[in-house]
Amino acid sequence: MEQILKILDIEGVRLAVGLLAVFLFVVVNALILTWAERKVAGHMQLRIGPKEVGPYGLIQPLADAMKLLGKEIITPRNVDKPIFYLGPIMIFIPVLVAFVVIPFDSYLQVRDINVGILVILAFSSFTVLSILMAGWGSNNKYSLIGSIRSIAQSVAYEIPLLLSLLAVIMMTNSLSLKDVVVAQKGIWFIFLQPVAFIIYFIAAVAETNRTPFDLPEAESELVAGYHTEYSGMMFALFFLAEYTNMFIVSAITVTFFLGGYQGPFLPGIVWFLLKSYFLVFVMMWFRWTFPRVRFDQLLNISWKALIPLSFINLLVTGGLLKL
Amino acid sequence: MVDKVQAELKSAFSDLTIHEESYPECGYHLSLDLAAGDLEKAARFFDDRRFYLAVELCVDYREYLEIVYIFSIHSSLCKVKVTLKIDPVNPVAPTLSKVFDCAWWYEREIHEFYGVRFDGHSDMTYLFLHDGIDVYPLRKEKVLVAEADRLELNSFSPEQREDSLSINMGPQHPSTHGVLRVVLRMDGEYIEDAYPVLGYLHRMQEKMAENRTYQQFLPNTGRMDYLGAMSYNLGYVTAVERLVGIDVPARAHYVRMIATELNRIASHLLWVGAYLADLGGLSPFLYAFDDRENLLDVLEAVTGSRLTYCYFRFGGLYNDVDDAFVAGTKAFVARMRGRFALYEKLVGGNVIFINRTRGIGVIERELARKCAVCGPVLRGAGIGMDFRKAEPYAAYAEMNFEIPTGRNGDALDMYHIRIREMETSLDIIDQSLARLSDGPFMVEKPPKKLKPRKGDLYHTVETPRGELGIYIVSDESDKPYRMKWRVPSFSNLMAFPELAKGNLLSDAVAILGSLDLVIPEIDR
Repeated sequence: MEQILKILDIEGVRLAVGLLAVFLFVVVNALILTWAERKVAGHMQLRIGPKEVGPYGLIQPLADAMKLLGKEIITPRNVDKPIFYLGPIMIFIPVLVAFVVIPFDSYLQVRDINVGILVILAFSSFTVLSILMAGWGSNNKYSLIGSIRSIAQSVAYEIPLLLSLLAVIMMTNSLSLKDVVVAQKGIWFIFLQPVAFIIYFIAAVAETNRTPFDLPEAESELVAGYHTEYSGMMFALFFLAEYTNMFIVSAITVTFFLGGYQGPFLPGIVWFLLKSYFLVFVMMWFRWTFPRVRFDQLLNISWKALIPLSFINLLVTGGLLKL
Repeated sequence: MVDKVQAELKSAFSDLTIHEESYPECGYHLSLDLAAGDLEKAARFFDDRRFYLAVELCVDYREYLEIVYIFSIHSSLCKVKVTLKIDPVNPVAPTLSKVFDCAWWYEREIHEFYGVRFDGHSDMTYLFLHDGIDVYPLRKEKVLVAEADRLELNSFSPEQREDSLSINMGPQHPSTHGVLRVVLRMDGEYIEDAYPVLGYLHRMQEKMAENRTYQQFLPNTGRMDYLGAMSYNLGYVTAVERLVGIDVPARAHYVRMIATELNRIASHLLWVGAYLADLGGLSPFLYAFDDRENLLDVLEAVTGSRLTYCYFRFGGLYNDVDDAFVAGTKAFVARMRGRFALYEKLVGGNVIFINRTRGIGVIERELARKCAVCGPVLRGAGIGMDFRKAEPYAAYAEMNFEIPTGRNGDALDMYHIRIREMETSLDIIDQSLARLSDGPFMVEKPPKKLKPRKGDLYHTVETPRGELGIYIVSDESDKPYRMKWRVPSFSNLMAFPELAKGNLLSDAVAILGSLDLVIPEIDR
């Protein structure tokens, strides 16, 4: 045991094991979330969701995954091949990187970087790039419009996302996620920064392209938006990325506003997952309750409401801290 | 109103004879036969008096082709049939598309079915048919399509321009509910022009009608508008009964109304669900279907089918209803009355829904009249026109119900009108149930073979989507000589290009949904 711990202390090994664990977690998380989404949707819609495959339909996502793996990857004519293939692969990089710096527990963190949140935000901007690649490379008008929408949306919502986190960072004076969690030992930041929390969560839903902000893939207008032309595993990668992103934004919310892994009685990792999955549930709840907002309304919410509000929030926070 | 119009017509067209017709028999009050030169003048005459062109159709009488225009008015009951006889060898007629927008569509239809060319019409391409059909299908004799005409019919090509993007919405598109294709010319996300392309579900129902007896055609009616099959059934049955002169027992009338109103609620429920799904909210769909399922169970027990009903017969019903049906209907009415609060919470009061629909797709009264828009869409524009009140059929005259109207004519109004129409349908069902007494459900001697009188009839009923007009020409045989269906979705679609212009792509989906189009009905 001691030997194992010793080996784990070596930087390279820790990173490798961590990445492997992250990769496993990403896959398992996506499987659980697809199952959960279908169950939640079912019960919200007077149905019961999957129930045939395995107990309570738990094996259903696995069966779906096998089905998707077995499907042919169709390459439509006239697509821009390198870009077309790179799109779904690229979407996975930011997803993996984000996990490296998230503290699941006081000891469960692949690496504590002193600019942790900057790393996450910088890499999450990559998502836009891969959506653009998918939309442009597909050589399909629906895909193109979907990806253009996605870019406008991401640009608009990254600003309030950043500004709301900045308010917290001003209070902790550190960009390290671990420090942010430790700073919440006495009181969670959701009580000190309620406005920032709301702004962050709305922007996060928009960043993950979930209803009511799912315009890039609005199926009644754009068929399936930027991933219209993808099939089989390529489509599954987009799918996987969406669910992982949902977890990541929830995890960041928990880290910044809900005390991270801290909580009484239960071990930290349990608290962390409980809080994160609760937020994921809230996002599913949104999806199955609200219709979709319109494109111009979406941008208006960000530019005219969220951004001014987060600036005011920053000013007030700064003023109070100075006092 | 009729006398006034007659007097004014007399002074405007002094050299013409204006025939006074028997409204109960023909379904119109006045008729006049015009020469081609007078047509536009007559159209302007009716346009000035705020009439709308209910339908334009053609009948092949072998010696001549007759183009029939039915003019009607929203404010009172006055219908005028205007006819124009043209030469069958070289059929040319003047166009009315400059006066009434809806004529643009009807004339395209007449052109491909009869080969009539319309002088001054801007687009004579195929509307329902496609290349490869080498005869004009509705002509009584075989008339081949001339080469020049074929080229003109095939000349449609979506405009390709450097500075704009053209998108095909449909025929396989999630929000066109069926196979409607709209070619959108886009400037970014804004729509510059919308051009509907029809005919993907065309089955030539009108030709089928000419080759079947009246009884044989009855099941076809439910296949046109599959969501309002009962209304189509009722419309066809009452039209033929009016033509032949059959008096239906009272019990049959009430059961017909109960069944039709239940069907109307089912249709509106489906619309609520599908419309919200168009706007991205998927859950209300399931709630609406839960209610609809309850309703379909009630209807299934008595009619034997769940969607394409064929329950009414000439002279009555297919079979009588039992106590279980009455109890089931009462239970459904009670359940449904309690559900509106839920819809208000889930849909009507939702801020996102209100923002998506308020001020979108506003129907102006003038546009509504020019396109002969009908049903909830027309009532949304504030014109309280409902054929259940305006021209009562079955026993609607005895019923006490209100006609919900909107103020702004936007998509939000259409939603509220359809919700309130469900409530009025419940009122009608309640009253019909109260009057439902024992008695025969069928006339004593159901007619074996129907041989109506010689002549024509224009009969209108109100389907869930609006004004359904059935024009039947009878030659005293047991098959109709000509049967024209004036379908509500078609005229509502005519308003769509105008409504979509200058709006966002997302709004186009919201507008198209608010019109509640059923494509098999348009294509027939």
